[in-house]
Amino acid sequence: MPQQFSISDWQAFAPGIHDRAGWEAWARAPSLLRGEDTPTLREMPPLQRRRVDRLGRMALQVAYWCQGDTAADVPQVFASRHGDAARTLEMLLALAREEPFSPTQFGLSTHNAIAAQYGIARKLVSNSLTVAAGAATAEAAFVEALGLLAEGAAEVLVVVYDGRLPTVYQAYADEPDSDYAWACRVAPVGDEQRGYSLTVAPAGSSTPTRRQLPHGLEVLQFLIAGSGTLALQEAACCWCWRRHD
Amino acid sequence: MQTLEAEIKELIISTMALEDTTPDDIDSAAPLFNEGLGLDSIDALELGLALHKRYGLTLSADSEATRRHFSSVQALCAFVAANRHQPQSSLPVGQLA
Repeated sequence: MPQQFSISDWQAFAPGIHDRAGWEAWARAPSLLRGEDTPTLREMPPLQRRRVDRLGRMALQVAYWCQGDTAADVPQVFASRHGDAARTLEMLLALAREEPFSPTQFGLSTHNAIAAQYGIARKLVSNSLTVAAGAATAEAAFVEALGLLAEGAAEVLVVVYDGRLPTVYQAYADEPDSDYAWACRVAPVGDEQRGYSLTVAPAGSSTPTRRQLPHGLEVLQFLIAGSGTLALQEAACCWCWRRHD
Repeated sequence: MQTLEAEIKELIISTMALEDTTPDDIDSAAPLFNEGLGLDSIDALELGLALHKRYGLTLSADSEATRRHFSSVQALCAFVAANRHQPQSSLPVGQLA
C-alpha cells in the first residue's frame, strides 16, 4: 500500500450543519450531531430516489457532492458500522408478527444496497465495495481505498455514514451515535500536497478511552482540522492516522 | 365515495412511494410497468402484496394472467372489481400502513 495519501476533496452532511464553514467550526469544537434534517438528493432521479431512506439519502448526497461529474470509473468504498439497522429491525419485527415481507424492503436490506442504488442511478461500472468493521470501519474503508490506489486507481471515493441506533440496540453500543455522512476523494500524494498516513500495529496494554463521538466522526474531524495524529484501539489493533506537514 | 379507479391510483402512489405524483398524473389506460409510470419488477411484487393486504387477492407471480391484470390501472380495476373479497376495507389508503 502507498505510504502516504492525499485528500483531494471532502463533503459532509449532518443535521444542523449547512456548509463548509459550519463543518470547520464543528471540527474546532466537535459535538454529537443529531436531528431530523434530510438532504434533498435531487441529483438522483425520483423513481430511484423513492427507494432510498434517510440514512441512504445522507450517504448518497455526500457521494454525489464529492464525486461530482468526475469520470464514471472512479472506484467507490462505502463504509458504515451499523448500516441500515433501523430497516432490518423493522423487517425482523414484521417477521416476528408473521407479516409478509415487503419485497422492496427485502431488496434493500443488504449492507451494500445503498451503494448499489448509487451505482445504478449513475450508471457506474467501476469497483464498488461496502465495508463494516466495528469502531474501525473508517479505517477499513481507507485500507480498501489504499489497496485500490496501489492497483492503479487514480483516485477512490470513500463514503462513511451512520445513523442513530434503534433503542433496542443501545445497550450494546460502545460509542455515542450521531446522524452523519461524509465523503472524500483519496488520491496518491502530489508534490505540493499535504499527505496523510494510516498505520496499524498490535494494540498496547492501555485501556481505550471512552469516546465522545462515534469514531467515524473523529476521523472526519481529524481530516478537516484535527491535530497531527489520531489513534484508535480496536480489538487487537492500534490504528494511527498521521498528518505530514 | 371514492371510485375504485381513484382508490387504486392512491394505492399505487403510496405503495410505490411515488413522491410528487398525484392520481391525476396517472393515465388509467397507460402501461404501469416499464413505459408509462416506469415501475419495475420489484414494484410488481410490492403491488401484488398490497393487493393481497387490501383486497384479499392472490396473484401468481409471472403468469400471463397477472401480466394482463397489471397492464394498466383500468385492467387492474376490472380484476379487483371482479375478484375482491375480505378484507373489505373502507379505510383511506394512508391509514393502512
